[in-house]
Amino acid sequence: MLPQLVRRLGLMLFTVWGAVSLTFVILRLAPGDQATVQLGPEATAADVAALRTELGLDRPMFTQYLDYLGGAMTGDFGESYRFRDSAMTIILDRFPATVVLALTATALALTVGLILGILAGRSPGRLADRVISGITLVMQAIPPFWSGIMLILLMALTLRLLPSAGSGDLEHLVLPAVTLAIPFAALIARITRSSVAEVTAEPYIQTARSKGLSERAVLSRHAIRNSVIPVVTMVSLHIGTLMGGAVIVEQVFAWEGVGSLLVSAVGNRDYAIVQGATVLFAIVVVTMNLLADVLNARLDPRIRAGVTS
Amino acid sequence: MRSRRHTAIAVTALLGLFATTACGAGSADGGGATGGGEIAVAGQFPTESIDPNGALAIDGGTRVASLQLYSPLLETVGPGEFDGKAAESWEINDTATEFTFTLRDGITFSDGSPITGQDVAASFERTVAADSPFSANFVDVGVQATDDTVTFTPAAPDPALLAKLTGVMITPAEATEDSYLDKPVTSGPFTVESFTPGGDLVMVPNDRYWGEKPTLDRVTIRSIPEVAARVTALETGELDIIWGISDDQVTQLNGNTEVQVVSATGSAVTTMWMNASTPALAKAEVRRALWQAVDFDKKIKALYPESGEPADSVIAPTVFGYAPQEPVTYDPDAAKQALVDAGFDFDTTLRFHFSQAQFRQWVKSVVSDLAAIGVKAEALEKEQAVYTEDLLSLNWDINIQQVGTLGLDASYNLGRLYTCAAERTGYCNPELDRMLKLAGTAVDPAERQAAYADATELIWNEAVGMYPMFVKNLFATRASVSGFEPDVEGLPRFDTVSVDE
Repeated sequence: MLPQLVRRLGLMLFTVWGAVSLTFVILRLAPGDQATVQLGPEATAADVAALRTELGLDRPMFTQYLDYLGGAMTGDFGESYRFRDSAMTIILDRFPATVVLALTATALALTVGLILGILAGRSPGRLADRVISGITLVMQAIPPFWSGIMLILLMALTLRLLPSAGSGDLEHLVLPAVTLAIPFAALIARITRSSVAEVTAEPYIQTARSKGLSERAVLSRHAIRNSVIPVVTMVSLHIGTLMGGAVIVEQVFAWEGVGSLLVSAVGNRDYAIVQGATVLFAIVVVTMNLLADVLNARLDPRIRAGVTS
Repeated sequence: MRSRRHTAIAVTALLGLFATTACGAGSADGGGATGGGEIAVAGQFPTESIDPNGALAIDGGTRVASLQLYSPLLETVGPGEFDGKAAESWEINDTATEFTFTLRDGITFSDGSPITGQDVAASFERTVAADSPFSANFVDVGVQATDDTVTFTPAAPDPALLAKLTGVMITPAEATEDSYLDKPVTSGPFTVESFTPGGDLVMVPNDRYWGEKPTLDRVTIRSIPEVAARVTALETGELDIIWGISDDQVTQLNGNTEVQVVSATGSAVTTMWMNASTPALAKAEVRRALWQAVDFDKKIKALYPESGEPADSVIAPTVFGYAPQEPVTYDPDAAKQALVDAGFDFDTTLRFHFSQAQFRQWVKSVVSDLAAIGVKAEALEKEQAVYTEDLLSLNWDINIQQVGTLGLDASYNLGRLYTCAAERTGYCNPELDRMLKLAGTAVDPAERQAAYADATELIWNEAVGMYPMFVKNLFATRASVSGFEPDVEGLPRFDTVSVDE
């Protein structure tokens, strides 16, 4: 187990380094830089050139990269030119809001997805299965920006039950979390349904039934535990996608998280923020991947045995 | 049976979450509903900095915040007309090379310390030293101060300096970048209760403000960049005033009796430069013909019925130096003939670049009109930073932007953008340079006005660009809001606003 973990940690570091480097290169290759945006269309070419020199943007790319990499290794991505503060400080100030949003959406998606998936999967082909499969198909097909706007129209504008935009408290959290959770819940439901349907057809389930166990006991003791393994893997791997979705949802609902910060930073060529936030997202994704492996090993003795051997 | 019960419990929990939060929704922060004269407002730009003389001084969010928090020496009240703010009076020497301001007696910052000439001078020096777009306004301008006066000495005559100084906000001499991260000392009608960069800016009245005190107890500027979200928040009562709205949203808002739409004429003109350094557009006859080929009146009525009106000059009527011109009449047949006469190459494809989604339909419509007379044009939508870089390097044939005039003096617009040295439009004419130099240095306002009129006529007739529309800024307020009047540059200000409880 230990060598496997060490190998995975090495791979994690390599992946994060790749994200760090790619972010740097892509930002530098994109036309228009911080000096152009900062001075705006009103500036003269001489003003822009002078600011480029002041910011060190006219230095050789490799020199800039080495400086950046050195800072990144200590978590220092420099100062945001717009906020005039440490980029990491600003990002970490916003990060809890994104985490709260992502975790709430995950909890909602898991609750709804597992319930629907189990209900559909334990009686494949029957009415409940067909109805739930249809609903989840629609839920998965709806893009979050559209469902977000529809929820705003319904819950905020028409029914006046919830605020339409903003962040900070529970009432502001509901609509963005539900928006983010909808496609995720559908995905979980579909995977859970397949898994439950597959597991309940296994001979050991028939054996459990023939021993006279109740259907509830068969499901809870045998079927669900084994069905949940692919769900755990998928949920862990899907956190990255959820972060990506949060970028859009935070914009729609003016939720003050890292996603909305990243969107404005890209447009403003605020390199320090973009680089810091991208690396943070990369670390979250690779950590969740590692967590998925560890959890799978915990849940499935066959994986543990494979790892050990 | 048990699984059904589990399902019911989970569903009840979810409904409970909705119900719990819904109960609180009616008392959402901000909004007129909270009473006590509090409002929440939002525009299209987040407030990322409240440093009025720093790198983001020209940024939309910072400008709106600065207007509420700080005092300039003076403000523009009309073309070439100024009122004193922190300055009681001022004197200009005969050559417009020395401007001396006397401060109001006994005025103080929000912390009670006196506002002195040294504070004004330090604020000015921060503007000049900062990597801010305002710094280009003050090349070779010296400054000296006493406790109650401050004197600016441009190296060359600069009659537009008064207008330029309207953008310099007064902050304490000891203020640094770090002073603006939390609760800065202010000199305007409001002061900061709390500020989250990129998030909410909460302001309360500055008890030590020298002028008339605001009637509101609290103003929160929120960050809601999405226009649809802002409009919805206004309709639900979460916001009391919004701006940065488009004409189609006005139609939606007009159907709501709880809100009202306010428009304000600012200084922006929809400007479509045609790059005269491109061989295909080198001749004025060609550029005039292209202008004549587009039915702008129809486009304004269709796309900007609320915020647009046909323009008759390069700069807006609110700006000193404005001079009306003979409108260019839509005539596609005459345009096509003029292009043929001028030897225009109809195989050329013109690159029409733009960056903002609000221009998308307009640009497509212009491309369509040009295609109707056989001119090929390609609409190239670019991300803002790419657009700006290409704009500065003249990597376009036609572009579109809203060009405003800070300080409402044509020197900021014509004087800066249309000289040969500026290299901004692709057009270079020594005669125009001469006119603009005279307009920028003549001490007599009438002489300046005449020179700008000559320059405008030349720019218009030579069709350096197409100038189809004056732009009005649109605001929407809850019906409970009264006294809302945008400033003369079309920016929102809240010191005169009151709200029904």
